Amino acid sequence: MINRFVLVPGALVLIAIVWNIFVFTHNHGVVSGRVVDQAGAPVVGAEVKLWVFNFVTFNERGSTQTGADGSFTFTDNPSHNIQLSAEKPGIGRSRIPVRLYFRSEDIVLAEPLRLSRDFDGK
Amino acid sequence: MTNRQRHWPIHLALIAVCLVMLVPFYWVLKTSVSGENIFAYPPSVIPRDPHPFYYVDVWYAIPFARYFLNSVVVSGLTIVANVVLNAMAGYALTQVFPGKQFILTLFLSCMMIPFQATIIPAYLITGKLGLLDSYLGLALPLFSTIICIFVFKASFDAVPRSLIDAARVDGLSEWRIIWKVMMPLAKSAVATNVILSFIWSWNNFMWPLIATRSQDMQTLPLGLARFISYQEDTTGALYAFCIMVLAPGILLFLLAQKEFVQGLTTGATKG
Repeated sequence: MINRFVLVPGALVLIAIVWNIFVFTHNHGVVSGRVVDQAGAPVVGAEVKLWVFNFVTFNERGSTQTGADGSFTFTDNPSHNIQLSAEKPGIGRSRIPVRLYFRSEDIVLAEPLRLSRDFDGK
Repeated sequence: MTNRQRHWPIHLALIAVCLVMLVPFYWVLKTSVSGENIFAYPPSVIPRDPHPFYYVDVWYAIPFARYFLNSVVVSGLTIVANVVLNAMAGYALTQVFPGKQFILTLFLSCMMIPFQATIIPAYLITGKLGLLDSYLGLALPLFSTIICIFVFKASFDAVPRSLIDAARVDGLSEWRIIWKVMMPLAKSAVATNVILSFIWSWNNFMWPLIATRSQDMQTLPLGLARFISYQEDTTGALYAFCIMVLAPGILLFLLAQKEFVQGLTTGATKG
């Protein structure tokens, strides 16, 4: 009974099971990253906002302040399509889209948010 | 000149035709990972910045898993019913009985009636049976199809008459002759029935649109229509949805294409 009609569906089911296990162990809604200035130095006390896509637009979900090393963490992201914005008066601001593979995926941003004075909001 | 050398122009032409036919599929696949507008100029053959996130959007924009389950259940019911009922009808048509020619003519003429013409009686019958908005009601109109009956008939006609006579001498009932003797010899016809009934059921839009009332009973083609109706800027996600709807049918065909082609050509050269 080991033929392609068994092996292919079996492989697909196996992939689905493995993927679901991965999802259930990595969906705590943790989003973390760093905020730096143009020179790459950490920015302390910058306000970081989490924006969640809601049907046609992004709504603010929460905000936090960066720590001494410029890092921040959100623990309640419910979405798979988010944006992060950071701002510090006198240094600049930044906003980046973040796409996730599933809802509430735990993620550490590979690239920091880089604050810029000439950020045009797009 | 060898046989292969003689046929290369034909093969070249066939490859070119295949490529032309595959272009729309490639275009859908490419757009589903890039989201490029179809009117973009100049068009790009290679997708720019491909990513899988349009598939994620589709998964969460509608209850995709529910629609998928509904389509799977309805298609499963249709496949089982088609194999069982069409095999019985096909076997009956291989027998000699009064009015057989009339029945065959009736079947052939019924093939010319489009489903849209029978949709009101189909709806009324399904309603009287209390099967509207149920899996059984969604699958019912496709429980038996005339083309698939003829596929079984052609396959059963190719089985030697002496084999059936021997089975009867051994004391097998007609029912057991179908399942123990004929069906194992008609695997290609079974594969053809499975694929055709699956594709027809999977892609069916009109009947589920009429027969379903609750959102929970909708199938994937209805989900696609719903998705288009309330999503803006759907280029990438829409094409991703199309790929997700098409994938099971393509996979099934690729798995059983050898049997499918055999089933369709069985009896083609007979006589």
